Amino acid sequence: MTETAVEYFEDVVLGRVHQSPGITLTRAHVREFLGLGGDWPDQTEGDQPVPDMLPLCISSGLGFRAGPPLLVLAFMGFEWHFLRPLHVGDTIRSRSSTVTKRSLREGGVIVEARDILDQRGEVTQSGRLTLLIAKRPPTRP
Amino acid sequence: MLRLMTSDGRRYFDEIEVGEEYESPGRTVTEADIVIFAGLSGDYNVLHTDAEFMKSSIFGERIAHGLLGLSIQSGLLTRGMRPYATIAFLGLRWKFKGPIKIGDTIRACAKVIGKKETSKPDRGIVTLSRQVLNQRGEVVQEGETDLMVARRS
Repeated sequence: MTETAVEYFEDVVLGRVHQSPGITLTRAHVREFLGLGGDWPDQTEGDQPVPDMLPLCISSGLGFRAGPPLLVLAFMGFEWHFLRPLHVGDTIRSRSSTVTKRSLREGGVIVEARDILDQRGEVTQSGRLTLLIAKRPPTRP
Repeated sequence: MLRLMTSDGRRYFDEIEVGEEYESPGRTVTEADIVIFAGLSGDYNVLHTDAEFMKSSIFGERIAHGLLGLSIQSGLLTRGMRPYATIAFLGLRWKFKGPIKIGDTIRACAKVIGKKETSKPDRGIVTLSRQVLNQRGEVVQEGETDLMVARRS
């Protein structure tokens, strides 16, 4: 069996918990995110909080460092709760598990429960994401 | 006196009315936006980074990260409305309905669809329904956001 660069719908195990490595949120992250999105806060001096959406965006990429990523065909939607503010210097990681999976003709839909934890292990953001995942292509004879 | 109290230009829970609508200017999403977002988020999914793979996908080319579109929407709408006296962004419910491709120009529309008082008298929750539209007027993203907004004391 050859190792693949990605995982497919068939590889998804319900309830298996994935813990990502951590990443420390820096002023550089904040500055780059504000420049990209353009949603500058009223105050841009002194101690700035981390924009709420930034940890969510980073959590999507954290999984890529934990092993072969799922081959996502489409991000269909999500619901999300911002529970605690994060600050520059905080270190976040994501903890996720698949709570439902449904096979379609082309690919399959999964619902992933995801928490973003800080360095104290407290849940700072939490929600559920619905993703369309590719099925494993048939192997050539 | 009232004027002095709101001289920061922000709008408080009491002043915001259900049914108010906002519309943003447009912004063209570029390849650079997608590359920068991939680097920042670490999300290098082939959907956003592999032009050759995407030729044979249903989209035919690379598409923007959904969360990039959502982040741009947030910045666009800020330019299309006077700021609220926001205490906290509580959460959102969101659907990605269609792709945002390189060169597409998106804009955001929003409407106040709910106001809810809380147990604390100095604040309330405002719910906005939001849409992201492309240059053809197609809704590519839509959802609802809940904001905790200060009341004028």
